[in-house]
Amino acid sequence: MIRHLYVHIPFCHRICPYCSFYKHEPGSTDTAAFLNALTVEALAARRKWGRRIELETVYFGGGTPTMLSTTHLERWLPEFRAALGIEEVKEWTVEINPRTIDARKAEALLGAGVTRASLGVQAWDQSSLTVLGRDHAPEEAEEAYQVLRSACFPVVSLDLMFAVPGQTLEAWQYSLRRSLALQPDHLSAYNLTYEEDTAFFEKFTRGEYVRDENVDGAFFTEAMRMTGEAGYRHYEISNYARPGFESRHNQSYWSGEDYLGLGPGAVSTVDRRRWKNVENTVLYMQDPLSGGLGEKAAEHLTDEQWACERIALELRTARGVEISWLPDGSRMQDVVQGGLAEIAGDRLRLTKQGKCVADSVVAHLWV
Amino acid sequence: MPVAANTRNFSIIAHIDHGKTTLSDRLLEKTSTVTMREMTAQHLDAMDLERERGITIKCHPVTMMYQSKNGQVYKLNLIDTPGHVDFAYEVSRSLAACEGAVILVDAAQGVEAQTVANHHLALEQKLTIIPVINKIDLPSANLPAVNKQLEDILMIPHEEAIKASAKMGIGIEDILEAVIERVPPPTVPEDGLLRASVFDSVFDSYRGVVMYVRVVSGTLKRGTGITMYATNNSYEVKEVGIFTPKQLKTDLLEAGDVGYVVANLKSTGEVKIGDTIMETSRMAKEPLPGFKEIQPMVFSGIYPVSSDDFEQLKLAMGKLQINDSAFKFQQESSAALGFGFRCGFLGLLHMEIVVERLRREYDMDIISTYPSVVYEITLASGDELKIDNPTYMPDPGTMLEIREPVVRAFILIPNECIGDIMQLVAEKRGILENTETLDASRVMLTCTLPLNEILVDFNDKLKSITRGYGSMDYEHHGFRAEKLVKMEMLVNGEPVDAFATIVHRDKAEARGRALAKKLVDVIPKQLFTVAIQAAIGGKIIARESIGSMGKNVTAKCYGGDISRKRKLLEKQKEGKKRMKMIGKVNIPQEAFVAVLKTGD
Repeated sequence: MIRHLYVHIPFCHRICPYCSFYKHEPGSTDTAAFLNALTVEALAARRKWGRRIELETVYFGGGTPTMLSTTHLERWLPEFRAALGIEEVKEWTVEINPRTIDARKAEALLGAGVTRASLGVQAWDQSSLTVLGRDHAPEEAEEAYQVLRSACFPVVSLDLMFAVPGQTLEAWQYSLRRSLALQPDHLSAYNLTYEEDTAFFEKFTRGEYVRDENVDGAFFTEAMRMTGEAGYRHYEISNYARPGFESRHNQSYWSGEDYLGLGPGAVSTVDRRRWKNVENTVLYMQDPLSGGLGEKAAEHLTDEQWACERIALELRTARGVEISWLPDGSRMQDVVQGGLAEIAGDRLRLTKQGKCVADSVVAHLWV
Repeated sequence: MPVAANTRNFSIIAHIDHGKTTLSDRLLEKTSTVTMREMTAQHLDAMDLERERGITIKCHPVTMMYQSKNGQVYKLNLIDTPGHVDFAYEVSRSLAACEGAVILVDAAQGVEAQTVANHHLALEQKLTIIPVINKIDLPSANLPAVNKQLEDILMIPHEEAIKASAKMGIGIEDILEAVIERVPPPTVPEDGLLRASVFDSVFDSYRGVVMYVRVVSGTLKRGTGITMYATNNSYEVKEVGIFTPKQLKTDLLEAGDVGYVVANLKSTGEVKIGDTIMETSRMAKEPLPGFKEIQPMVFSGIYPVSSDDFEQLKLAMGKLQINDSAFKFQQESSAALGFGFRCGFLGLLHMEIVVERLRREYDMDIISTYPSVVYEITLASGDELKIDNPTYMPDPGTMLEIREPVVRAFILIPNECIGDIMQLVAEKRGILENTETLDASRVMLTCTLPLNEILVDFNDKLKSITRGYGSMDYEHHGFRAEKLVKMEMLVNGEPVDAFATIVHRDKAEARGRALAKKLVDVIPKQLFTVAIQAAIGGKIIARESIGSMGKNVTAKCYGGDISRKRKLLEKQKEGKKRMKMIGKVNIPQEAFVAVLKTGD
């Protein structure tokens, strides 16, 4: 069964220097035509997969989904729902940029069935926001949060980033404190990474920005401590939630469930086959069928690759990875004896210490 | 005894860069052996590596016809020899094929260490010495100083020296005339039985082994049934010829001649350098003197980086050995490095050349372990033992005595460096035998040094202390009993056999500490803290540790990120295949190389 759907909206007002997702300024893109292309791809997906599609979660990401105007959203969302035969889903997330949300748009989203708002705050201190190239001020993020709360979104989540160049531990504590004071249902805290093809990466390779594993570690530990004290559950390396508010959609990625991705640059994985839509909005709009369902270049995951992904992803979650996926028991003993992981029933899960070196633990277990 | 009156056999010995190759080229040119058109610089150095390093590895004989001023035509056989001490045995075999030697000295640089060492070898062979002072055209030439050095160091009256400039073509005829006048013609035993001495061999893919020989008596021609004295194997001669310097087929080789013989031998392993070729039907009673088996002096393990390359490496080594019988190898396995080969070399230069040829000509990705010398051990039981791999050193309790090979080194240095060099010699456990003042600016130290101590960086240090002006050469000088111990390096408590070395007890601590520090630098941080220790017989003498890593977590792992993350892991896995896992620690290839570079 395909229970999960991702939709990629590639438009941004401004390109953030750290972001490596497929995105661009809208320019002269005909928004209506773009949305129509998504509908066409959705219809085609439904024709192709038929009853295998039984959606439980939907996720609109980007880019900036809220760059779509309220009018467009009101007109298109029902059409899109109908195309996929969406009756009721358990979780429908939309990524929200603080500067492109207002009460009307929030109403429109809720009215169309959206249940979860993920607000891109990133930081509460102005200097980090400036370095990250975000165009909103802290007050605007706060305002956006209140708009979402007033509209009564069932779940509101905040996105934060740490280890931003120039960011002090105090600034990070401040961002965490101010986030927690708002009592969001869910919090994502991402370690800034330097991804290829970004402006940050260039500065990183030139040595203007540096990574310090000890600094990263201190920020990460602080996030774990403060969210833990506030009653949040650290259910995945970068994600914290009040009990019962974990993201179902994201958990589906980690546990290896099938998902479909629509829109330019979106990734799908069905029956251990993974493919990616064309990363070009113009080409996508010209031919949403071959751009969208162009599975010709699909990657067929072997058993070994699948096992690798299971370990890499599930070990990052609180419940851990099923021991049966691990290729080498002695490697498991190493990390258990080293205090980096513990065995719970038929699963292996990271300890607090292990979470700090998750990548290396994965490498030790699998490589 | 009759003589081959119009034949002269000689060689040229010189320190590196003193102009040996240029002089050889001029002699060829003067005797019209090589026409001007055929001349390319360095005619006799055939291998690429030889040209690059400016050294001669194989022998390059050449026969020249020359009409002397006295009107007679002479057959001059020049046997160009490898100059380096690693190839001392080949040098001595080549010299044994001669009656004379031209000793070439640079007019500006003067007598150098290699000149001294090769002069010793020539005297041992009782050769007639013709001193030649080369490069007299240089503005920096200092004839009075060189004359004095010839007399003081080599005990040669300076009046005997011929002044020349090979580059400018000055003195070339004088040298040829001196060879004819001063070098005696080869003597020929009267019985007419075939005796030919083999002084080198090469492998030719079409004809098999080509033996380089000097015919002392009798004749060799196509169809002659021959027997190699040392191996007692018999063959039929397929072809004989001389060197011009290209091989030129001739009808026969007779007493006094230097040339080549092809007799369907399949590998140079079948030829013992120094052996005597005899006629199967009319064997001489005694072989020519001087034959001995070549003993490798330096040993090292050579391992493929990827275990998949093992068979290919074996093949490549086999091919190398066909043309280099002094290179020995035998399969061994190391807990750290897997399957590989224990290889024996004549010396460090020989080892470097083999390793480089494996890398360059055979494209092999290899790790070579810290070089070792051969140790002689007397066990408490009275048994004698030789080991070339520290791993196999017996338990200290069972050994009465352990002896290491020693060399006598000649070190020529500028006066002002003498203090530093004496300190270096002392650090290397050397014993100074003699100090001689060469002239106003230079001294020569003669000392004995353990071979093991000069294996890795002695020459580099000498060069750096003397800013390039010092030179060193040596000859083997037997074995000496010492307080030697096996030092092991432990990674997380597990000994890594590839890091084990035999060191002098008094130097063990310092070396252990240096090695441990080096390993800390080259082994990346691991999941857990890693202990690096140096130990002698279970007693820890140095300890360092590699801290565990700080933080590393990928930030996001959603739809599109997953493949990327997996591919990264797959790449890591590929990379790890090239690392060696010891005591749960991944040791990168660089660690094995770094150990090589830790002098003391």
